[in-house]
Amino acid sequence: MLTPAGINDNASQISLDRLISRSSSFLGLELAVQMSVVRLTGVSKRYSDVTAVDYLDLDIKKGEIFGLLGPNGSGKSTTIKMMLGLVKPDSGSVNVLDINVEDNPIMVKRKIGYVPESPRLYEFLTGLEFLDFTGDVYGLELGEKKKRIDEFIKALDLEGREGDTISSYSEGMKQKVVIISAIMHRPELLLFDEPLSSLDPKSARIVKDLLRQLATQGVTTIMSTHVLEIAQAMCDRIAIMYEGRLLALGTMKELRAKAQMPESGLEDIFLKLTGTGDVKPIVEALLK
Amino acid sequence: MNWKNVLLLVRVDFKSYRMIRGSRFRRFRENKLTLYGLYIAAGLIGLLAGLVIGNFYQGISDSNLKNLFFQGATSLFVSLPTLALLYGLVFAQVNQIQRMGAKISIQPLYWFPITWTEHTLASVLASIIGVPLVITILISAVIVVASIFFGLVPLAVFTILALAASTIIGSTTAEILKSLQVRLTGAVTKAAGRAAVWVRLLGSILFFLVFYLIYFSIYYNISPISLAESIASGQRALWFIPYVWLGVALFTFANGLWLQTVILSVASLIFIYALFVLAVRVNTRYGLYEAPSIRISHGVYAPKAGLLGRLGFSTFEAAMIKKDFKAFTRRRELTYIFIFPVIVVIAPLLSFMRGPSAAEVPSMFPSFLFAYVALFPGALMVVILARLIVGSEGESVWNLYSWPVSAKSLVKAKYFFVVFFGLTVTLICSVVGVVLTIPSVQIAIVGLVEAVFIILSLAMVSLSFGIKGADFRELPPRPRMIRTLWAFVDMAVCAILGLVIIAPLIPYVTMVIFQAGVPPSQIYFSLPPEYPFLALLVSGVIAFLIAYGFYKVAVNSAEQLLLKAEGPG
Repeated sequence: MLTPAGINDNASQISLDRLISRSSSFLGLELAVQMSVVRLTGVSKRYSDVTAVDYLDLDIKKGEIFGLLGPNGSGKSTTIKMMLGLVKPDSGSVNVLDINVEDNPIMVKRKIGYVPESPRLYEFLTGLEFLDFTGDVYGLELGEKKKRIDEFIKALDLEGREGDTISSYSEGMKQKVVIISAIMHRPELLLFDEPLSSLDPKSARIVKDLLRQLATQGVTTIMSTHVLEIAQAMCDRIAIMYEGRLLALGTMKELRAKAQMPESGLEDIFLKLTGTGDVKPIVEALLK
Repeated sequence: MNWKNVLLLVRVDFKSYRMIRGSRFRRFRENKLTLYGLYIAAGLIGLLAGLVIGNFYQGISDSNLKNLFFQGATSLFVSLPTLALLYGLVFAQVNQIQRMGAKISIQPLYWFPITWTEHTLASVLASIIGVPLVITILISAVIVVASIFFGLVPLAVFTILALAASTIIGSTTAEILKSLQVRLTGAVTKAAGRAAVWVRLLGSILFFLVFYLIYFSIYYNISPISLAESIASGQRALWFIPYVWLGVALFTFANGLWLQTVILSVASLIFIYALFVLAVRVNTRYGLYEAPSIRISHGVYAPKAGLLGRLGFSTFEAAMIKKDFKAFTRRRELTYIFIFPVIVVIAPLLSFMRGPSAAEVPSMFPSFLFAYVALFPGALMVVILARLIVGSEGESVWNLYSWPVSAKSLVKAKYFFVVFFGLTVTLICSVVGVVLTIPSVQIAIVGLVEAVFIILSLAMVSLSFGIKGADFRELPPRPRMIRTLWAFVDMAVCAILGLVIIAPLIPYVTMVIFQAGVPPSQIYFSLPPEYPFLALLVSGVIAFLIAYGFYKVAVNSAEQLLLKAEGPG
């Protein structure tokens, strides 16, 4: 069992362990095998004159934490939305958990947990009411729903505020509610679009450890992020997208090799591969 | 005070006002002709109207009649400032109600170097822009031209100045009330805790009820001339209230009481300044007010299988219905839907109670009033609610997109919610109608059953249009929830289909009219006693067919909707 370093709060730790052990009973303890969970084949998507995604092939394995990186407008969010069946590709096919997303989007959505880039919650509900509502949407049994909600609220430090309307929550608290609502039904695939950007360090750490632990149990996570440190620290493989195309794909080691920067971090590799590396003249111009 | 800041803020507020009224902006700079066209048109119409009135006055040969008109014009001039004040307050209040759901309307850009005085002055001036300014320009143009023919030019000029000052008084008062209102409702909300939801809902309904009762009792069934005369005499009796000083000053001016005119005019200017200072202070104190969070619960979380589950709804459908119920009781911009039935009932009932005595009205009038009260409020509410309920998801609609929700479940949950509220309103209104009008048992049954048919079918019709034309953008100041074109289409189709459903009952209604002797005629016809019930049956079948047809449309539209995450609504 994972022992997250840096978490001093025993209550949170116990709750996290419980959450993870419950996942084990749900999913079984099968470890990741080389089985495709998400397969995109020749997928393209255009919005009038703009090509959001250009002939993309991806094959993401079970239990992977997969990072999607790219500058703004590179097609990350569109790719994630296509996996969820929210955006229909112009060409190519998207298969998630062996289901063609276009054929049966509802079946796919049942097995997925999704955190969008800018989540909007029902602000007139309390955090508790929203989670209760989400539990009902996914058809969780009453006792199970209560246990999971109680534990997640405790683990992510929402205790004491769960009865307040969401309209009074900070961005970080809202993010926590969305993350809980994405995880609480024990999905087989998590799609996170900028998942940790508003979280406080402790909650970010809890979510990261939770994702890692879930990965060992076969839950796949695909996350799009701008925070390169998170991608570097968490992701087994990283795809770098630029103008809708896949520029590079692989582990950190493979990316370093591709960029011919053996000692560099992800930030330098990313800037080199996307051709956005030379920021010095811009900074100088701004200082004038 | 930095006047440039004030003018910039006025422009921002002006744009915000135009957005409330549905104007669209594609560019930052707008066509000046469109921008000022309304005011220019008001001025031109006013000039023309003044000419017509003036020529008409000059054409009167009877000196008594001419004198009567002259006296009337003087009374009108004298009453105009108070009338403008009343209108200004009403429009400002309506404007405020329209901004209810806005998160951006009250918060000034406090991190900018702008003083509270500048912000308050800009807000006061911006509130005048729009309907109050159009009315002021129109009236000013009319009286300035007409006064030439009446020989009342000095009084007209003074009236225009007083009118402008009154508009400022109205706007400044509205500014004070705005901040106090937000502060007060916030305090009540915080103090009431869980009950805040109900306090806010019932408080809003009560506020509208009082507002419309006052509005109808002032303006309903009263001619403008008698209103002007009662204001002109009333303000002299209430001379000690600063709000009527301008009107009294006009009266003293018209009667050559120069000293009183000067005193009242100076006092009015001091009053305006004092009001403005008060508005600045109130804004300084409450202007950056943050709405308090509402704590709904602090007890132990205990989920339970509700009644809806036992009624055959899936967990998603039950959750959706409960969520919508909470939305319509907690979201301030949605609570106004509950006000419609109240207004729709109040207006005819006031007219009924103020109208001629029972002996003078046709015998079938109470039956018609009952039919109106039983049929109309519930049907109207259902049509409005159904067309908005999907759009009310707003930008949170991503939840629907990402959840495993089927189109049928979505339609079922939304339809049930709308029908439940429509039937509840109909039941309440029918009880009120029975108590007030005491209809025959047959008419009561026919009215009530027909209302149920109309609600069941129009709810589905309107829901299908609400899905098709849903507008999820939460543009300030408040979300529209349905595109304007679809709202009109929905209203037209619902009106036509409502008539189609009622059609089988038209012979029965005609018989009731003829039997009551209205219009007086020798024609007399009767229908078999079972006819109304047969007509109800046919009406029910039509309603069912319409509902079924539009159910198919609604499900189809919902399927499209759930795959439409590509673009914003």
